[in-house]
Amino acid sequence: MQEYIIDAHNKTPREVNQEIKKSAKKNDKIIIKNPNAMHYIAAGLTEPIEVLIDGSAGYFAGTMIHGAKIHINGNAGWFPGDNMTEGELIIDGSAGDGVGQGIYGGTVVVKRDAGSRTGEIMKEGNIIIGGNSGFMSGLFMMGGRIIVLGNISDDAGESIIRGAIYVKGKIKSLGKNAKIEEINEEDEKELKEILNSQGFDLTDTDYKDFKKIIPRSKRPFYGKESEEG
Amino acid sequence: MCGIAGVVYKDGKIHPVGDALTKMLDALQHRGPDSAGFAIYGGLGLSKNEYLLNIEIKESPGLLEEVKNTVNLITPIEKEEIIPSVENFIIYRCKVSLNSFSELKPLIMRIDKIDDVIVLNGSHSFEMIKDVGLVKDIAARYDTQDKMGTHAIGHTRFSTESIVDRYHAHPFQSYIIPDITVVHNGQITNYWKIRDPLERKGHIFETTNDTECIVHYIADKLNEGYKLEEALEQSVKDMDGPYSYIVGTPNGVGIAKDQLGLRPGVLAENDELFAIASEEVALREVLDTHDIEQISPGEARAYTI
Repeated sequence: MQEYIIDAHNKTPREVNQEIKKSAKKNDKIIIKNPNAMHYIAAGLTEPIEVLIDGSAGYFAGTMIHGAKIHINGNAGWFPGDNMTEGELIIDGSAGDGVGQGIYGGTVVVKRDAGSRTGEIMKEGNIIIGGNSGFMSGLFMMGGRIIVLGNISDDAGESIIRGAIYVKGKIKSLGKNAKIEEINEEDEKELKEILNSQGFDLTDTDYKDFKKIIPRSKRPFYGKESEEG
Repeated sequence: MCGIAGVVYKDGKIHPVGDALTKMLDALQHRGPDSAGFAIYGGLGLSKNEYLLNIEIKESPGLLEEVKNTVNLITPIEKEEIIPSVENFIIYRCKVSLNSFSELKPLIMRIDKIDDVIVLNGSHSFEMIKDVGLVKDIAARYDTQDKMGTHAIGHTRFSTESIVDRYHAHPFQSYIIPDITVVHNGQITNYWKIRDPLERKGHIFETTNDTECIVHYIADKLNEGYKLEEALEQSVKDMDGPYSYIVGTPNGVGIAKDQLGLRPGVLAENDELFAIASEEVALREVLDTHDIEQISPGEARAYTI
Protein backbone atom coordinates (compact mmCIF):
# COMPACT_ATOMS: atom_id res chain seq x y z
CA MET A 1 0.00 0.00 0.00
CA GLN A 2 1.41 3.33 -1.02
CA GLU A 3 0.92 6.08 1.56
CA TYR A 4 1.29 9.81 1.19
CA ILE A 5 1.58 12.20 4.14
CA ILE A 6 0.34 15.78 4.03
CA ASP A 7 1.32 18.13 6.86
CA ALA A 8 -1.55 20.61 7.11
CA HIS A 9 0.35 22.91 9.47
CA ASN A 10 0.56 26.42 8.02
CA LYS A 11 -1.45 25.40 4.94
CA THR A 12 -4.85 26.72 3.88
CA PRO A 13 -7.78 24.33 3.31
CA ARG A 14 -7.48 25.02 -0.41
CA GLU A 15 -3.79 24.05 -0.42
CA VAL A 16 -4.46 20.88 1.56
CA ASN A 17 -7.35 19.86 -0.70
CA GLN A 18 -5.35 20.51 -3.86
CA GLU A 19 -2.60 18.28 -2.47
CA ILE A 20 -5.14 15.58 -1.53
CA LYS A 21 -6.66 15.55 -5.01
CA LYS A 22 -3.29 15.47 -6.72
CA SER A 23 -1.85 12.71 -4.53
CA ALA A 24 -5.08 10.65 -4.56
CA LYS A 25 -4.47 9.62 -8.15
CA LYS A 26 -1.08 8.03 -7.37
CA ASN A 27 -1.48 6.61 -3.85
CA ASP A 28 -3.64 4.19 -1.89
CA LYS A 29 -3.80 6.11 1.36
CA ILE A 30 -3.35 9.72 2.41
CA ILE A 31 -2.56 10.75 5.97
CA ILE A 32 -3.29 14.33 7.00
CA LYS A 33 -1.06 15.38 9.89
CA ASN A 34 -1.77 18.44 12.08
CA PRO A 35 -5.30 19.09 10.77
CA ASN A 36 -5.98 21.28 13.85
CA ALA A 37 -9.78 21.32 13.29
CA MET A 38 -9.35 22.80 9.79
CA HIS A 39 -12.54 23.27 7.74
CA TYR A 40 -13.41 21.61 4.38
CA ILE A 41 -10.79 18.84 4.53
CA ALA A 42 -11.18 16.43 1.56
CA ALA A 43 -14.09 18.45 0.13
CA GLY A 44 -15.22 17.10 -3.23
CA LEU A 45 -12.81 14.16 -3.27
CA THR A 46 -13.97 11.70 -5.93
CA GLU A 47 -11.12 9.15 -5.86
CA PRO A 48 -11.90 5.89 -3.98
CA ILE A 49 -8.95 6.34 -1.65
CA GLU A 50 -8.37 5.94 2.10
CA VAL A 51 -7.78 9.18 3.99
CA LEU A 52 -6.72 9.33 7.63
CA ILE A 53 -7.21 12.70 9.29
CA ASP A 54 -4.84 12.43 12.23
CA GLY A 55 -6.60 14.76 14.70
CA SER A 56 -9.76 16.82 14.63
CA ALA A 57 -11.46 18.27 11.56
CA GLY A 58 -13.53 21.47 11.38
CA TYR A 59 -16.68 22.15 9.37
CA PHE A 60 -17.73 20.21 6.23
CA ALA A 61 -15.16 17.41 6.57
CA GLY A 62 -15.56 15.11 3.58
CA THR A 63 -18.32 17.20 2.03
CA MET A 64 -19.46 15.93 -1.40
CA ILE A 65 -17.10 12.96 -1.47
CA HIS A 66 -17.81 10.10 -3.87
CA GLY A 67 -16.16 6.83 -2.89
CA ALA A 68 -13.41 7.87 -0.49
CA LYS A 69 -13.05 6.23 2.93
CA ILE A 70 -12.18 8.92 5.43
CA HIS A 71 -11.25 8.23 9.03
CA ILE A 72 -11.00 11.11 11.51
CA ASN A 73 -9.35 10.01 14.73
CA GLY A 74 -10.42 13.17 16.58
CA ASN A 75 -13.64 15.20 16.46
CA ALA A 76 -15.47 16.91 13.61
CA GLY A 77 -17.28 20.25 13.52
CA TRP A 78 -20.53 21.06 11.72
CA PHE A 79 -21.78 19.15 8.65
CA PRO A 80 -19.32 16.24 8.33
CA GLY A 81 -20.08 14.19 5.19
CA ASP A 82 -22.46 16.85 3.89
CA ASN A 83 -24.05 15.82 0.55
CA MET A 84 -21.73 12.84 0.05
CA THR A 85 -22.88 10.35 -2.56
CA GLU A 86 -20.76 7.27 -1.85
CA GLY A 87 -18.00 6.26 0.53
CA GLU A 88 -17.42 6.28 4.26
CA LEU A 89 -16.67 8.88 6.92
CA ILE A 90 -15.73 7.52 10.35
CA ILE A 91 -15.29 9.95 13.24
CA ASP A 92 -13.77 8.49 16.39
CA GLY A 93 -14.75 11.43 18.60
CA SER A 94 -17.78 13.71 18.71
CA ALA A 95 -19.27 15.89 15.99
CA GLY A 96 -21.17 19.14 15.73
CA ASP A 97 -24.49 19.93 14.08
CA GLY A 98 -25.74 18.55 10.78
CA VAL A 99 -23.85 15.24 10.66
CA GLY A 100 -24.48 13.68 7.24
CA GLN A 101 -26.61 16.59 6.08
CA GLY A 102 -28.27 15.79 2.75
CA ILE A 103 -26.29 12.62 1.99
CA TYR A 104 -27.28 10.67 -1.11
CA GLY A 105 -25.43 7.50 -0.11
CA GLY A 106 -22.51 6.07 1.83
CA THR A 107 -22.03 5.81 5.58
CA VAL A 108 -21.21 8.37 8.24
CA VAL A 109 -20.24 7.11 11.70
CA VAL A 110 -19.73 9.24 14.80
CA LYS A 111 -18.46 7.09 17.66
CA ARG A 112 -19.45 9.55 20.39
CA ASP A 113 -22.11 12.30 20.59
CA ALA A 114 -23.44 14.37 17.69
CA GLY A 115 -24.98 17.85 17.78
CA SER A 116 -28.33 18.97 16.38
CA ARG A 117 -30.09 18.15 13.10
CA THR A 118 -28.21 14.91 12.40
CA GLY A 119 -29.15 13.61 8.94
CA GLU A 120 -31.26 16.62 7.97
CA ILE A 121 -32.60 16.33 4.41
CA MET A 122 -30.68 13.08 3.84
CA LYS A 123 -31.89 11.07 0.88
CA GLU A 124 -30.14 7.72 1.21
CA GLY A 125 -27.23 6.10 3.04
CA ASN A 126 -26.60 5.36 6.71
CA ILE A 127 -25.66 7.54 9.64
CA ILE A 128 -24.61 5.89 12.90
CA ILE A 129 -24.22 7.85 16.13
CA GLY A 130 -22.49 5.89 18.88
CA GLY A 131 -23.58 8.31 21.61
CA ASN A 132 -26.42 10.81 21.79
CA SER A 133 -27.88 12.79 18.90
CA GLY A 134 -29.23 16.32 19.36
CA PHE A 135 -32.28 18.42 18.61
CA MET A 136 -34.32 17.78 15.41
CA SER A 137 -32.31 14.77 14.28
CA GLY A 138 -33.73 13.56 10.94
CA LEU A 139 -35.16 17.00 10.08
CA PHE A 140 -36.92 16.75 6.68
CA MET A 141 -35.31 13.33 6.21
CA MET A 142 -36.20 11.87 2.81
CA GLY A 143 -34.63 8.43 2.95
CA GLY A 144 -31.89 6.24 4.41
CA ARG A 145 -31.26 5.30 8.01
CA ILE A 146 -30.08 7.06 11.13
CA ILE A 147 -29.04 4.75 13.94
CA VAL A 148 -28.54 6.28 17.39
CA LEU A 149 -27.07 4.07 20.10
CA GLY A 150 -27.58 6.66 22.84
CA ASN A 151 -30.48 9.04 23.41
CA ILE A 152 -32.12 11.32 20.86
CA SER A 153 -33.16 14.84 21.84
CA ASP A 154 -36.29 16.93 21.20
CA ASP A 155 -38.34 16.88 18.00
CA ALA A 156 -36.77 13.70 16.61
CA GLY A 157 -37.78 13.13 13.00
CA GLU A 158 -39.20 16.65 12.57
CA SER A 159 -41.14 16.68 9.26
CA ILE A 160 -39.65 13.34 8.23
CA ILE A 161 -40.94 12.23 4.81
CA ARG A 162 -39.17 8.89 4.21
CA GLY A 163 -36.48 6.77 5.84
CA ALA A 164 -36.17 5.62 9.44
CA ILE A 165 -34.40 6.59 12.65
CA TYR A 166 -33.47 3.72 14.95
CA VAL A 167 -32.89 4.71 18.56
CA LYS A 168 -31.53 2.43 21.27
CA GLY A 169 -31.81 4.95 24.11
CA LYS A 170 -34.50 7.41 25.11
CA ILE A 171 -36.51 9.51 22.67
CA LYS A 172 -37.05 12.88 24.34
CA SER A 173 -39.84 14.01 22.01
CA LEU A 174 -41.04 13.52 18.46
CA GLY A 175 -41.24 16.14 15.74
CA LYS A 176 -44.21 16.81 13.50
CA ASN A 177 -45.10 13.87 11.23
CA ALA A 178 -42.98 11.41 13.22
CA LYS A 179 -44.22 8.32 15.01
CA ILE A 180 -42.59 5.46 16.92
CA GLU A 181 -42.85 1.80 15.95
CA GLU A 182 -41.36 -1.35 17.38
CA ILE A 183 -38.64 -2.83 15.19
CA ASN A 184 -39.34 -6.10 13.39
CA GLU A 185 -37.05 -9.04 12.59
CA GLU A 186 -36.02 -7.56 9.29
CA ASP A 187 -35.06 -4.29 10.95
CA GLU A 188 -33.05 -6.17 13.57
CA LYS A 189 -31.24 -8.15 10.89
CA GLU A 190 -30.36 -4.99 8.99
CA LEU A 191 -29.21 -3.22 12.14
CA LYS A 192 -26.97 -6.15 13.06
CA GLU A 193 -25.39 -6.21 9.62
CA ILE A 194 -24.75 -2.48 9.58
CA LEU A 195 -23.52 -2.16 13.15
CA ASN A 196 -21.36 -5.30 13.02
CA SER A 197 -19.73 -4.04 9.83
CA GLN A 198 -18.76 -0.85 11.68
CA GLY A 199 -17.38 -2.69 14.72
CA PHE A 200 -20.21 -1.95 17.17
CA ASP A 201 -20.46 -4.95 19.47
CA LEU A 202 -24.04 -5.20 20.74
CA THR A 203 -25.71 -8.19 22.35
CA ASP A 204 -29.00 -9.69 21.18
CA THR A 205 -30.64 -8.13 24.24
CA ASP A 206 -29.31 -4.71 23.22
CA TYR A 207 -31.08 -4.99 19.88
CA LYS A 208 -34.42 -5.48 21.65
CA ASP A 209 -34.08 -1.91 23.02
CA PHE A 210 -34.27 -0.27 19.58
CA LYS A 211 -37.32 1.74 18.56
CA LYS A 212 -37.95 2.99 15.06
CA ILE A 213 -39.06 6.53 14.19
CA ILE A 214 -40.82 6.74 10.85
CA PRO A 215 -43.14 9.19 9.04
CA ARG A 216 -46.82 9.30 9.93
CA SER A 217 -47.65 10.35 6.40
CA LYS A 218 -45.77 10.59 3.11
CA ARG A 219 -47.73 13.74 2.22
CA PRO A 220 -47.85 15.62 5.52
CA PHE A 221 -48.21 19.17 4.24
CA TYR A 222 -50.80 19.46 1.46
CA GLY A 223 -51.72 15.92 0.40
CA LYS A 224 -54.73 13.86 1.44
CA GLU A 225 -54.57 10.37 2.89
CA SER A 226 -56.17 9.00 -0.29
CA GLU A 227 -53.28 10.41 -2.33
CA GLU A 228 -50.60 8.55 -0.42
CA GLY A 229 -48.68 5.81 -2.12
CA MET B 1 -20.43 35.00 11.08
CA CYS B 2 -18.22 36.20 14.00
CA GLY B 3 -16.03 34.17 16.35
CA ILE B 4 -16.44 34.17 20.12
CA ALA B 5 -14.20 32.77 22.82
CA GLY B 6 -13.84 32.72 26.58
CA VAL B 7 -11.39 31.17 29.01
CA VAL B 8 -11.20 30.88 32.81
CA TYR B 9 -8.29 29.72 34.98
CA LYS B 10 -10.11 27.75 37.63
CA ASP B 11 -7.68 28.48 40.47
CA GLY B 12 -8.61 32.17 40.34
CA LYS B 13 -4.94 33.16 40.19
CA ILE B 14 -3.21 35.41 37.68
CA HIS B 15 -2.10 33.66 34.47
CA PRO B 16 -1.04 34.75 30.95
CA VAL B 17 -4.68 34.83 29.88
CA GLY B 18 -4.00 37.49 27.24
CA ASP B 19 -1.71 35.10 25.42
CA ALA B 20 -4.29 32.31 25.65
CA LEU B 21 -7.12 34.47 24.32
CA THR B 22 -4.99 35.97 21.56
CA LYS B 23 -4.25 32.48 20.28
CA MET B 24 -7.92 31.50 20.52
CA LEU B 25 -9.05 34.56 18.59
CA ASP B 26 -6.34 34.19 15.98
CA ALA B 27 -7.62 30.65 15.40
CA LEU B 28 -11.09 32.13 14.84
CA GLN B 29 -9.89 34.87 12.49
CA HIS B 30 -11.61 33.23 9.50
CA ARG B 31 -14.98 33.88 11.18
CA GLY B 32 -14.63 37.66 11.01
CA PRO B 33 -12.00 40.04 9.64
CA ASP B 34 -13.57 43.42 10.50
CA SER B 35 -12.54 43.98 14.09
CA ALA B 36 -11.54 42.10 17.21
CA GLY B 37 -11.72 42.65 20.92
CA PHE B 38 -10.69 41.41 24.33
CA ALA B 39 -12.04 41.84 27.86
CA ILE B 40 -9.29 40.61 30.17
CA TYR B 41 -10.35 40.31 33.80
CA GLY B 42 -8.37 40.22 37.01
CA GLY B 43 -5.06 41.76 35.95
CA LEU B 44 -5.56 45.51 36.25
CA GLY B 45 -4.87 45.71 39.99
CA LEU B 46 -6.81 48.95 40.48
CA SER B 47 -7.63 50.13 43.98
CA LYS B 48 -11.21 50.63 45.15
CA ASN B 49 -13.00 53.36 43.14
CA GLU B 50 -10.21 53.54 40.55
CA TYR B 51 -11.24 53.21 36.90
CA LEU B 52 -9.47 52.89 33.58
CA LEU B 53 -10.91 54.83 30.62
CA ASN B 54 -10.22 53.95 26.99
CA ILE B 55 -10.96 56.96 24.82
CA GLU B 56 -10.83 57.08 21.03
CA ILE B 57 -9.65 60.50 19.84
CA LYS B 58 -9.21 61.74 16.29
CA GLU B 59 -5.72 63.06 15.61
CA SER B 60 -6.58 66.74 15.54
CA PRO B 61 -4.74 69.73 17.06
CA GLY B 62 -5.86 70.50 20.60
CA LEU B 63 -8.37 67.64 20.86
CA LEU B 64 -6.34 65.50 23.27
CA GLU B 65 -5.84 68.51 25.54
CA GLU B 66 -9.58 69.23 25.46
CA VAL B 67 -10.27 65.67 26.58
CA LYS B 68 -7.71 65.88 29.37
CA ASN B 69 -9.14 69.22 30.54
CA THR B 70 -12.66 67.79 30.54
CA VAL B 71 -11.62 64.79 32.63
CA ASN B 72 -9.50 66.88 35.00
CA LEU B 73 -12.43 69.19 35.67
CA ILE B 74 -14.33 66.21 37.07
CA THR B 75 -11.52 64.15 38.58
CA PRO B 76 -7.73 64.40 38.30
CA ILE B 77 -6.03 62.13 35.80
CA GLU B 78 -3.73 59.89 37.83
CA LYS B 79 -1.96 57.99 35.04
CA GLU B 80 -2.11 58.14 31.26
CA GLU B 81 -0.95 56.37 28.12
CA ILE B 82 -1.37 56.96 24.40
CA ILE B 83 -1.70 54.00 22.05
CA PRO B 84 -1.46 54.79 18.33
CA SER B 85 -4.21 53.19 16.28
CA VAL B 86 -5.17 53.33 12.60
CA GLU B 87 -7.24 55.69 10.42
CA ASN B 88 -5.93 58.86 12.16
CA PHE B 89 -7.11 57.91 15.61
CA ILE B 90 -5.32 57.38 18.90
CA ILE B 91 -6.48 55.54 21.98
CA TYR B 92 -5.98 57.63 25.10
CA ARG B 93 -5.96 55.63 28.30
CA CYS B 94 -6.21 57.25 31.67
CA LYS B 95 -6.71 56.17 35.24
CA VAL B 96 -9.05 58.18 37.43
CA SER B 97 -10.70 57.87 40.85
CA LEU B 98 -14.41 58.38 41.43
CA ASN B 99 -16.48 58.47 44.59
CA SER B 100 -18.60 55.61 43.36
CA PHE B 101 -19.40 53.49 40.30
CA SER B 102 -22.52 55.57 39.70
CA GLU B 103 -20.28 58.47 38.61
CA LEU B 104 -18.65 56.48 35.81
CA LYS B 105 -21.40 56.60 33.17
CA PRO B 106 -22.02 60.37 33.63
CA LEU B 107 -18.26 60.97 33.22
CA ILE B 108 -18.25 58.90 30.02
CA MET B 109 -21.29 60.78 28.67
CA ARG B 110 -19.61 64.11 29.42
CA ILE B 111 -16.48 63.14 27.47
CA ASP B 112 -18.61 61.75 24.62
CA LYS B 113 -20.04 65.24 24.04
CA ILE B 114 -16.69 66.34 22.54
CA ASP B 115 -16.74 66.02 18.74
CA ASP B 116 -14.55 63.28 17.25
CA VAL B 117 -14.12 61.69 20.67
CA ILE B 118 -15.79 58.57 22.03
CA VAL B 119 -15.15 56.63 25.21
CA LEU B 120 -14.74 53.01 24.22
CA ASN B 121 -15.19 51.89 27.81
CA GLY B 122 -14.53 52.52 31.47
CA SER B 123 -13.76 49.62 33.79
CA HIS B 124 -12.49 48.64 37.19
CA SER B 125 -11.77 44.92 37.12
CA PHE B 126 -11.04 44.24 33.46
CA GLU B 127 -9.05 45.67 30.59
CA MET B 128 -10.92 46.30 27.35
CA ILE B 129 -8.96 46.16 24.12
CA LYS B 130 -10.87 46.46 20.86
CA ASP B 131 -10.00 47.83 17.48
CA VAL B 132 -10.63 47.43 13.78
CA GLY B 133 -8.57 44.96 11.75
CA LEU B 134 -7.06 41.56 12.28
CA VAL B 135 -6.30 39.86 15.58
CA LYS B 136 -2.54 39.67 15.02
CA ASP B 137 -2.32 43.38 14.19
CA ILE B 138 -4.41 44.38 17.19
CA ALA B 139 -2.41 42.00 19.40
CA ALA B 140 0.82 43.67 18.29
CA ARG B 141 -0.62 47.16 18.75
CA TYR B 142 -1.84 46.53 22.30
CA ASP B 143 0.58 43.78 23.47
CA THR B 144 -2.35 41.52 24.27
CA GLN B 145 -0.08 38.49 24.61
CA ASP B 146 1.58 40.06 27.66
CA LYS B 147 -1.66 40.71 29.52
CA MET B 148 -2.18 38.78 32.73
CA GLY B 149 -5.45 37.91 34.40
CA THR B 150 -7.82 35.26 35.69
CA HIS B 151 -10.28 35.01 32.80
CA ALA B 152 -11.18 36.70 29.55
CA ILE B 153 -13.62 36.83 26.65
CA GLY B 154 -13.00 37.90 23.07
CA HIS B 155 -14.40 38.29 19.58
CA THR B 156 -13.60 38.40 15.89
CA ARG B 157 -16.25 40.37 14.02
CA PHE B 158 -17.96 39.85 10.67
CA SER B 159 -20.28 42.83 10.73
CA THR B 160 -23.87 42.38 9.58
CA GLU B 161 -26.08 44.84 11.45
CA SER B 162 -24.02 47.93 12.21
CA ILE B 163 -20.96 49.84 11.11
CA VAL B 164 -17.36 48.73 11.48
CA ASP B 165 -15.51 50.92 13.96
CA ARG B 166 -13.85 50.60 17.34
CA TYR B 167 -16.97 51.38 19.32
CA HIS B 168 -19.03 48.74 17.51
CA ALA B 169 -16.28 46.15 17.91
CA HIS B 170 -17.10 43.62 20.62
CA PRO B 171 -17.01 43.24 23.60
CA PHE B 172 -19.88 45.56 24.46
CA GLN B 173 -20.17 46.72 28.05
CA SER B 174 -23.07 47.68 30.30
CA TYR B 175 -22.88 50.20 33.12
CA ILE B 176 -26.00 48.99 34.94
CA ILE B 177 -23.63 47.15 37.27
CA PRO B 178 -19.81 47.17 37.09
CA ASP B 179 -17.79 45.35 34.49
CA ILE B 180 -20.25 43.21 32.53
CA THR B 181 -19.21 42.47 28.93
CA VAL B 182 -20.64 40.45 26.04
CA VAL B 183 -19.32 39.07 22.76
CA HIS B 184 -21.87 37.73 20.32
CA ASN B 185 -22.30 35.74 17.12
CA GLY B 186 -25.70 36.12 15.47
CA GLN B 187 -28.79 38.31 15.50
CA ILE B 188 -31.50 39.08 18.07
CA THR B 189 -34.63 39.28 15.94
CA ASN B 190 -36.95 40.57 18.69
CA TYR B 191 -34.45 43.31 19.48
CA TRP B 192 -36.99 46.09 20.10
CA LYS B 193 -39.10 43.85 22.31
CA ILE B 194 -36.04 43.25 24.51
CA ARG B 195 -34.80 46.85 24.37
CA ASP B 196 -38.06 48.63 25.14
CA PRO B 197 -38.58 47.40 28.75
CA LEU B 198 -34.89 48.01 29.51
CA GLU B 199 -35.17 51.62 28.32
CA ARG B 200 -38.35 52.08 30.36
CA LYS B 201 -36.27 51.08 33.40
CA GLY B 202 -33.87 53.91 32.54
CA HIS B 203 -31.05 51.95 30.97
CA ILE B 204 -29.16 53.93 28.34
CA PHE B 205 -28.58 52.53 24.84
CA GLU B 206 -25.79 54.13 22.80
CA THR B 207 -26.20 52.10 19.58
CA THR B 208 -28.74 49.98 17.72
CA ASN B 209 -26.38 47.03 17.82
CA ASP B 210 -28.12 43.94 19.21
CA THR B 211 -25.02 42.96 21.21
CA GLU B 212 -25.44 46.09 23.30
CA CYS B 213 -29.02 44.96 23.93
CA ILE B 214 -27.78 41.58 25.23
CA VAL B 215 -25.23 43.10 27.60
CA HIS B 216 -27.81 45.44 29.15
CA TYR B 217 -30.30 42.58 29.42
CA ILE B 218 -27.79 40.38 31.28
CA ALA B 219 -26.56 43.23 33.50
CA ASP B 220 -30.17 44.07 34.37
CA LYS B 221 -30.88 40.44 35.30
CA LEU B 222 -27.72 40.23 37.44
CA ASN B 223 -28.75 43.49 39.07
CA GLU B 224 -32.10 41.91 39.92
CA GLY B 225 -30.32 39.10 41.74
CA TYR B 226 -30.13 36.40 39.07
CA LYS B 227 -27.03 34.22 39.13
CA LEU B 228 -25.08 34.30 35.86
CA GLU B 229 -26.35 30.90 34.68
CA GLU B 230 -29.93 31.85 35.59
CA ALA B 231 -29.65 35.11 33.62
CA LEU B 232 -28.33 33.20 30.62
CA GLU B 233 -31.12 30.61 30.85
CA GLN B 234 -33.77 33.33 31.03
CA SER B 235 -32.24 35.11 28.01
CA VAL B 236 -32.67 32.01 25.88
CA LYS B 237 -36.38 32.01 26.71
CA ASP B 238 -36.77 35.74 26.04
CA MET B 239 -34.59 36.33 22.97
CA ASP B 240 -35.46 35.15 19.46
CA GLY B 241 -33.13 34.69 16.52
CA PRO B 242 -29.96 32.79 15.72
CA TYR B 243 -27.28 33.51 18.28
CA SER B 244 -24.62 32.30 20.63
CA TYR B 245 -22.97 34.73 22.98
CA ILE B 246 -20.46 34.80 25.84
CA VAL B 247 -20.71 36.98 28.93
CA GLY B 248 -17.79 38.15 31.04
CA THR B 249 -18.26 39.22 34.67
CA PRO B 250 -15.70 40.03 37.38
CA ASN B 251 -16.13 36.44 38.62
CA GLY B 252 -16.39 34.31 35.50
CA VAL B 253 -17.75 33.67 32.04
CA GLY B 254 -20.85 32.06 30.57
CA ILE B 255 -22.30 31.07 27.20
CA ALA B 256 -25.86 30.83 25.87
CA LYS B 257 -27.14 29.48 22.59
CA ASP B 258 -30.49 30.07 20.85
CA GLN B 259 -33.26 27.51 21.11
CA LEU B 260 -32.88 26.29 17.52
CA GLY B 261 -29.12 25.94 17.83
CA LEU B 262 -28.42 28.05 14.77
CA ARG B 263 -25.05 29.39 15.91
CA PRO B 264 -22.15 27.27 17.15
CA GLY B 265 -20.70 26.87 20.61
CA VAL B 266 -18.26 24.29 21.98
CA LEU B 267 -16.81 23.74 25.42
CA ALA B 268 -13.87 21.90 26.92
CA GLU B 269 -12.34 21.86 30.37
CA ASN B 270 -9.78 20.18 32.57
CA ASP B 271 -8.65 20.71 36.17
CA GLU B 272 -7.01 24.02 35.28
CA LEU B 273 -9.13 25.59 32.54
CA PHE B 274 -12.69 26.16 31.40
CA ALA B 275 -12.81 27.21 27.74
CA ILE B 276 -15.67 28.04 25.38
CA ALA B 277 -15.63 29.13 21.74
CA SER B 278 -17.33 29.05 18.37
CA GLU B 279 -15.12 26.24 17.13
CA GLU B 280 -12.86 23.47 18.39
CA VAL B 281 -9.88 25.05 16.64
CA ALA B 282 -9.87 27.79 19.30
CA LEU B 283 -10.18 25.38 22.22
CA ARG B 284 -7.24 23.39 20.96
CA GLU B 285 -5.04 26.45 21.39
CA VAL B 286 -5.44 26.21 25.17
CA LEU B 287 -6.43 22.60 25.89
CA ASP B 288 -4.93 19.37 24.63
CA THR B 289 -8.06 17.24 24.64
CA HIS B 290 -10.44 15.48 22.31
CA ASP B 291 -13.29 15.82 24.84
CA ILE B 292 -15.15 18.61 23.11
CA GLU B 293 -18.72 19.27 24.21
CA GLN B 294 -21.27 20.81 21.85
CA ILE B 295 -23.46 23.42 23.53
CA SER B 296 -27.02 22.24 22.86
CA PRO B 297 -29.80 24.44 21.46
CA GLY B 298 -31.19 26.58 24.24
CA GLU B 299 -28.42 25.60 26.63
CA ALA B 300 -26.56 27.97 28.95
CA ARG B 301 -23.31 27.19 30.75
CA ALA B 302 -21.19 29.28 33.09
CA TYR B 303 -18.07 29.01 35.19
CA THR B 304 -17.46 31.35 38.10
CA ILE B 305 -14.37 31.56 40.31
